[in-house]
Amino acid sequence: MPKFTSERVDDLAAKLLIGLSPEENQMVLDEFSIIDENLGKVEDFPNIKKVEPMTHCLDNFTCTLREDKIEASIPIEDALKNCDSVEGREIEVPKVVGGEN
Amino acid sequence: MANFITKIGLEMHCEMSKTNSKVFSSAKNEYCEIPNSNIRPLDMGFPGTLPVVNKEAVRLSLMASIILHCRQPEYMYFERKNYYYPDMPKNYQITQNPPEDCVGMEGFLDVEREDGSQFRVGIDNIHLEEDAASLDHYYDTSCIDYNRAGVPLLELVTNPDIHSANDAVTFLEQMRSIYQYANISEADSKKGQIRCDVNVSIMDANLDEENPENWGTKVEIKNINSFGGVRDAINYEIKRQSELKSLGRYNEVEQETRRWDEESGTTIRMRSKVDAIDYKYFVDPNIPKFKIESSWLEEIKKSIPLLPLERKAKYIQEYGLSAYDAKVIVKEREYAEYFETCLEIGMDAKTSANWLTTQILGEINRINISIKDFYLTPKLLKQIIDAIKNGTISSKQAKEIFYQALEEQKEPSSYINSDMAQISDKTELENMITKILEENPQQVTEYKNGKDNLFDYFVGQVMKNTHGKANPVITKEILKDKLDKKR
Amino acid sequence: MDKTIEELHELLKTKQITSKELIVESLKKSHEVQEAYNAFVTILEEAEETTITDNLLSGIPFGIKDNYSTKDILSTGSSNTLKDYVPFFNATAVQKLIDAGAVPVNKTVLDEFGMGGTGTTGHTGIVKNPWDPTRMTAGSSAGSACAVAAGVYPYALGSDTGDSIRKPAAYCGIVGYKPTYGMISRYGLFPFASSLDHCGVLTRSVTDAAIVVDTMKGIDEHDMTSWDSSHIHLYENRNKEVKNMKLCYIKELCDIEFYENPTEELKMHLENFKEKLELCKNLGMEVEEVSVNQKLLDTLPSVYVAISCAEATSNMSNLTGIIFGPRGEGKNVTEMMMDHRTKGFSPLIKRRFIIGSYILQKENQERYFKNAGRVRRLLVDTWKKLYESYDAVILPVGSGPAKHLDGSKDILTKDTAALEEHLQIGNFGGFPSITIPDGFINGLPVALNITGNCYEDEKILSIAHALEQAMPYKNQIAKEVR
Repeated sequence: MPKFTSERVDDLAAKLLIGLSPEENQMVLDEFSIIDENLGKVEDFPNIKKVEPMTHCLDNFTCTLREDKIEASIPIEDALKNCDSVEGREIEVPKVVGGEN
Repeated sequence: MANFITKIGLEMHCEMSKTNSKVFSSAKNEYCEIPNSNIRPLDMGFPGTLPVVNKEAVRLSLMASIILHCRQPEYMYFERKNYYYPDMPKNYQITQNPPEDCVGMEGFLDVEREDGSQFRVGIDNIHLEEDAASLDHYYDTSCIDYNRAGVPLLELVTNPDIHSANDAVTFLEQMRSIYQYANISEADSKKGQIRCDVNVSIMDANLDEENPENWGTKVEIKNINSFGGVRDAINYEIKRQSELKSLGRYNEVEQETRRWDEESGTTIRMRSKVDAIDYKYFVDPNIPKFKIESSWLEEIKKSIPLLPLERKAKYIQEYGLSAYDAKVIVKEREYAEYFETCLEIGMDAKTSANWLTTQILGEINRINISIKDFYLTPKLLKQIIDAIKNGTISSKQAKEIFYQALEEQKEPSSYINSDMAQISDKTELENMITKILEENPQQVTEYKNGKDNLFDYFVGQVMKNTHGKANPVITKEILKDKLDKKR
Repeated sequence: MDKTIEELHELLKTKQITSKELIVESLKKSHEVQEAYNAFVTILEEAEETTITDNLLSGIPFGIKDNYSTKDILSTGSSNTLKDYVPFFNATAVQKLIDAGAVPVNKTVLDEFGMGGTGTTGHTGIVKNPWDPTRMTAGSSAGSACAVAAGVYPYALGSDTGDSIRKPAAYCGIVGYKPTYGMISRYGLFPFASSLDHCGVLTRSVTDAAIVVDTMKGIDEHDMTSWDSSHIHLYENRNKEVKNMKLCYIKELCDIEFYENPTEELKMHLENFKEKLELCKNLGMEVEEVSVNQKLLDTLPSVYVAISCAEATSNMSNLTGIIFGPRGEGKNVTEMMMDHRTKGFSPLIKRRFIIGSYILQKENQERYFKNAGRVRRLLVDTWKKLYESYDAVILPVGSGPAKHLDGSKDILTKDTAALEEHLQIGNFGGFPSITIPDGFINGLPVALNITGNCYEDEKILSIAHALEQAMPYKNQIAKEVR
């Protein structure tokens, strides 16, 4: 497994659209080393891989799926009122070029 | 290039247009010209909003899973696919993450080619997810319309079992027709409801195809919006890869993602496999795992309408249609619905099929409309057919009325009146025919001497005399009788 | 405003006081508390009185943590990324209180988006402890805890992902209650870690907590994880008999022998706790010591960080300044989002996002995220096992009273980590959990916590209520001790 390095911290930060100072970068590594050490110990717990990871807070939800009913669209003024750059009924951004997917 | 085998796998994304509301929000699921007019707070990712799963979207996706002979999960849940892009307000997509449990796993579909031969395509998985918003591009800005954000989307992933561009398109067409028949989606690529990714690789024909080690380098081509594009992109890619391989430069074929450029008719490199994005999938904690009860699956299974291939068999076996007519009719759900309505209101199957596959399809293709918008509904068509059946009009007249009714958008019955009635009176026709035979002694003699094709000449004379109104069946009977007596 | 909800309701009902007068008093007090302790993001000067009905909450002011979406009221999550965000919808829990006639008078400061336990990382600055302004309130429901303790109103909303209601309640000498996961809808609560986030309340008495949560709770069609609790009546049933109830406490956390260099404060805190166990026995409850796997407890803090950071990095990826929040500067969308996020988030949050993101990387998930999920289950199963024999687990909160803001006078030792963090188990398993004040150390309040099995909220409230009645800390208002 590749080690968590300062380059990887910067790479992840860039992908999360976050800028980090060199000090902050180092702090990430320092903080993470504690987690790494602690969770590393978990590997040694007997039969740990047989435990189903808990992904939800409760295991016994009795949830019902939503009936396929329509609710009115939100007023356009509400949708756009917190946006700093609006064109007509839409949110405007500098031209997006290329595609992710 | 016959010394290579092509292996093609498809990813078909199809918007489910047949639910009322979106998959995780209760906004209306409908294409709308007015931007941001079908939105709920979740569709724009406002803080604190939560997804709530639409039961109907799950039901339809399970139906697709059953149709594709897939295994359904015991519990259903969703995962988050995390990446930043301006068309995704939450910057994660709620989706499923095969091979983890999803709507359908490990199925297959038998596909029929134009010539009637069949091939089987393995389905790796089919999963349910949400669509992204759409971007409208202007000179130096883009505007974001969230109407499409959250529209339910089915993504189907096949195994690399397909060997030609044509088979790939045949598969896609059959899938589209299944989505339409099962009322899952209009599956209209013109509305952008279908988008495909394909992956293509080639391998030496003399190697064992069953062994994945012999497979070539897989190239993925993303975001193709039409079936024609799929065909062209695959053919382009086969050619590109085969040429490189033939030239001994196969190492230049890289495991990468390319995109199809419609304008240039080429594929263009987007990114290498090495740069593949890590989507950091994890189970969405906001959506509890919910049990898919087997009773529900049974119920869904029972509600699946007859699908195109089964329907075609039924048309041939039960209604006696020709294989050709049956194939043409089942190609679109709407055609089959038209046909079945005809039967329901008591029209003859073969006659209806004839009219549908010739006049009607010819006409709607000519003026490029949907059969749903076609003026002559089965009910109106019946007026014409009935008039032929009871001898009020000839089939030639019927066609004239068909086009006239269309032209003037008036009920066919308004053109059918007693004046048009055929002359079916035997005595009247007998007298007329006697007269005609008397007036044409030369031809009668020639007929007697064996010139059989003169029979049609006499029929023509009768029609001429009656302005085409003579009942052809009776006319022929009398003529035959009289002429044979003279022989 | 130092009275209980029942008392205020009686005064309103008998017209000895009006809703208007309460609001004026609460607003005045808000300004004093803001001046002294910096507890609020927004004070709602325009708050209007409501009609007094039979609903106990009608006409009475309350506070809302600023990570609840409030219609037409600034809702920042105490973050620069949302410093100008005015939502157009109310969180379900808020709406229910407003429907009951309750009157919001301010929005309280939190650690940015709830990701912190100090009350020092909100974008409007540090929240000080009303008992001693040189000390922390703890967090993240810092402003809510401070304001309730200072007597601005009888209750304020909080949210709790690790201990964000129950820890600040302890440091401020008040009651903090988070019910079973999903009893209160999370719709409109700005998410931190969705599988751990709970809504709840901070009050000065168990009865008030019961009244408020009775109103906030209920199944919500906008939150699939909410459930129907219409059979649960907290206020009505808070007086239930506790005689013969069985409590347990964890030896590894409560026995001074397990700490290498215990501080005087820790010793006093644990001794005080032991005294309160005797009190429980006097009330007719059985109390037993149990032992749990120390190794499991030791991994607890890291498991919490792993799960919460991973979920947080995804939950907060909608904060880009494109649809809401101040638009960043840049030539293209990516630069704009990056500028917004770089300027908007505090360093602590950024670091946590990166850790969360690393943990979620495909090649790391197994070792970190999945293992964390596995230990979470083991811990929850351990507690569930305890609930087969006991009605509730009772434990001291933290290792003593509020810590100093400058940190210099606090001796933090590694071996108190589990004691500081054990409340997170309540979030792991969605257990109902309530903190009540149980004494003073050097003039500063300390607390104990009672955590029960899922859906047994009535039971833990009864225990807390009985214990509260037997101690002199109910309805206490903070007074500066130095």
